[in-house]
Amino acid sequence: MQYPTPIAKLIESYMRLPGIGAKTAARLAFFTLDMKEADVTDFAKSLISVKRDLHYCSICGNITDEDPCDICKDTTRDRSTILVVEEPKDVMSMEKMREYHGLYHVLNGVLSPMDGTGPDDINIASLIQRLHDEEVTEVIIATNATTEGEATAMYLSRLIKPAGIKVTRLAHGLSVGSDIEYADEVTLLKAVEGRREL
Amino acid sequence: MKLKNIHLENYRNYETIQLAFPNSLNIFLGENAQGKTNLLESIYVLAMTRSHRTNNEKEFIRWGAEFARVEGEIEKKERIFPLEMAISSKGKKTKINHIEQRKLSDYVGALNIVLFAPEDLSLVKGSPQGRRKFLDMELGQVNPHYLYQLSQYQSVLKQRNHYLKRIYETKKTDQNFLDVLSEQLVESASHVLFLRYQFLLKLEQHAQKVHQKISHGKERLTLSYQPSLPIAQETTKEEIKAIFLEVLKKNQAREIAKQTTFVGPHRDDLFFLVNEKNVQTFGSQGQQRTTVLSVKLAEIELMKEEIGEYPILLLDDVLSELDDDRQMHLLETIEGKVQTFLTTTSLEHIENKMKSTPDIFYVTNGQIERKSESV
Ligand SMILES: Nc1ncnc2c1ncn2[C@@H]1O[C@H](COP(=O)(O)OP(=O)(O)OP(=O)(O)O)[C@@H](O)[C@H]1O
Ligand SMILES: [Mg+2]
Ligand SMILES: [Zn+2]
Repeated sequence: MQYPTPIAKLIESYMRLPGIGAKTAARLAFFTLDMKEADVTDFAKSLISVKRDLHYCSICGNITDEDPCDICKDTTRDRSTILVVEEPKDVMSMEKMREYHGLYHVLNGVLSPMDGTGPDDINIASLIQRLHDEEVTEVIIATNATTEGEATAMYLSRLIKPAGIKVTRLAHGLSVGSDIEYADEVTLLKAVEGRREL
Repeated sequence: MKLKNIHLENYRNYETIQLAFPNSLNIFLGENAQGKTNLLESIYVLAMTRSHRTNNEKEFIRWGAEFARVEGEIEKKERIFPLEMAISSKGKKTKINHIEQRKLSDYVGALNIVLFAPEDLSLVKGSPQGRRKFLDMELGQVNPHYLYQLSQYQSVLKQRNHYLKRIYETKKTDQNFLDVLSEQLVESASHVLFLRYQFLLKLEQHAQKVHQKISHGKERLTLSYQPSLPIAQETTKEEIKAIFLEVLKKNQAREIAKQTTFVGPHRDDLFFLVNEKNVQTFGSQGQQRTTVLSVKLAEIELMKEEIGEYPILLLDDVLSELDDDRQMHLLETIEGKVQTFLTTTSLEHIENKMKSTPDIFYVTNGQIERKSESV
C-alpha cells in the first residue's frame, strides 16, 4: 500500500534530517499526524522562522535575529580582542563558559579544497576588514584541531601578523582532532588560558 | 599475547560462531571456499580494522545482513580484555574494553598481529604500492604515532592536490594558502619518513639474522628505502622539511599543470637486496620466497622487541607454498612462543613437523567443528 501523498511528503522531509532513516521518519510522520493542530502550526512556524527571521550578523558572521548581533552591539565587551571560530555553535560553547569577554568572528566554514572551500568562500575578507576599521590588538584563532582547522589558523596568521596584530591559537587542552563543540567547559577554559602565539 | 576466544556475527559466510583458543597452535582445516580465510581475516580485522584482501569493507557483512561484528578477548601483559569491531552501512565502530575508540590510532595496536598470506609472496615482486602498504600496516601496529602522522599526511596531500586542481581551473594562485598546505604536508612527511627509516633499520637487523640462517650463511639481506626526495637515513626531520619545501617550490608550476603532488612518502619504494643485488629483478623465486619469509619472521621478533610480547601469527595457506627447509624454519621459530592460526586444505605438510599437539577446527561452509586430536 502507498502512503497518502501528504504523509509520504512529510516522511520524505523528515528523512532529510541527519541520522533519520525511513523507519524513524515514518514513525515521526504518524506522530505528527496525532499531534494537536496548534502544536503542529507552532512547529511549522518555527521551521520557517529559523530560515526567514535569522540572519548572519554583517559584522561578525554569527547567526542573529537582529543585525548587528547582541555581542557586536554590546559596548561593555572588550573590543580589542576577536576570537575566531568555525561555526555559530562554537560561539555558544564559548559564551556558556562566561570567561571570555571580547568579540567574535564566525568564519562559517573551514578551508577545505576537497569540499570546494577556499579562502574566498568563508568569512575571511570581512575579518580583515574589521581589523582595518577597529582597534583590535589580539586575534585568538579557535578553529578546531583538525588538519583543516590548523590550515585555516596558519593561513589567517599569515594574513594578520604583518599588520602587527598579535595572533594566538587556542589549542592547549583540546585534544588533537577534536571539535570545540564537544569540549567541556573546564577544557575550554584551560584552552583559552593556554593559547599560544602563532 | 594471546587471543583467548572469538565471537563472529554476520561475518562473511558465518552467521554466528564462538570459538575458544586455549591452545598455542590452531589449525583451520577444510576444503576450498568453506570459510578458512574468512575466519583468519576476521582475526586480522579485529586487530587492524581493515583487511589484507580488500579495500571494500562492506564485503565483511554477510550477504543480506545489516552489520558484521567481531569480538575477541585478548590476553596481553597479564591483562585480559575484550576488543570489538563492528561494521554497518553507517561505518565502523571499535571498542577496547567496551569503550569506544574514535581514532584508528587509539585502537590499532591493542592486538598485535603478523599475517603471512599468499599475497605476501608478491611483496618483493609486486608494486611499490604494495610495499608501502606493508610498511604502513606493520609500522602502524607498533607505533600509533606513525598512524596518526600518516593519516595527517594523507589528508593534507588530498587537500593540496584538490587545491592544485582548483588553481589550474581558476588560473588564480593564493600563494599564502598553497604555502600553508605545503608547510602542513612537509611537517607530517618529516615524521613519516623519519619513522620509516628508524623502523627499517630495526627490521633489517632481525631479517638479516633470519635470512642468513635460512640461506645457510650464503646470503646477506639488506633493506634499502628508496625515497622520492633527495634524503637518506641520516637526514634529520628539520632537514627533511627544508628539502621537501625546496622541492615543492621548484616543482610548483609543473605540479599545478599536472594537478598533483609529485614527490613525498606516497611515492617512495623499498628494495630488498641479497648480496647487494635487487631481489626483485635478479633474485630467483627461491630467493624471493626466502626474503619474504625472513622479513615476516623478523616482524615477529621486532614486535616482541617493541611491545615486550610476541604478536599473534596468522598463516593463510602458506606452508604449502614453502619447501620443507623453509617450513622447518618457520615452525621452529614460532613453536612454543607464538600463538599461531593457520589454514590449510590438508594436514599433509604439517604432519611430523610439529612437536606440540594442535587444536584442529574443521571448517565446512560457515560451520565449525572442533577436534583436539594428535596429528
Ligand atoms: N559477505 C559474504 N557473505 C556470505 N558469504 C561470503 C561473503 N564473502 C565471502 N563469502 C563466501 O566465502 C567463501 C570464501 O571463503 P574463504 O575465502 O574463507 O575460503 P577458504 O576456505 O579460505 O578457501 P580456499 O581454500 O580456497 O582459500 C566464498 O565461497 C564466498 O561465497
Ligand atoms: Mg583461503
Ligand atoms: Zn555580530
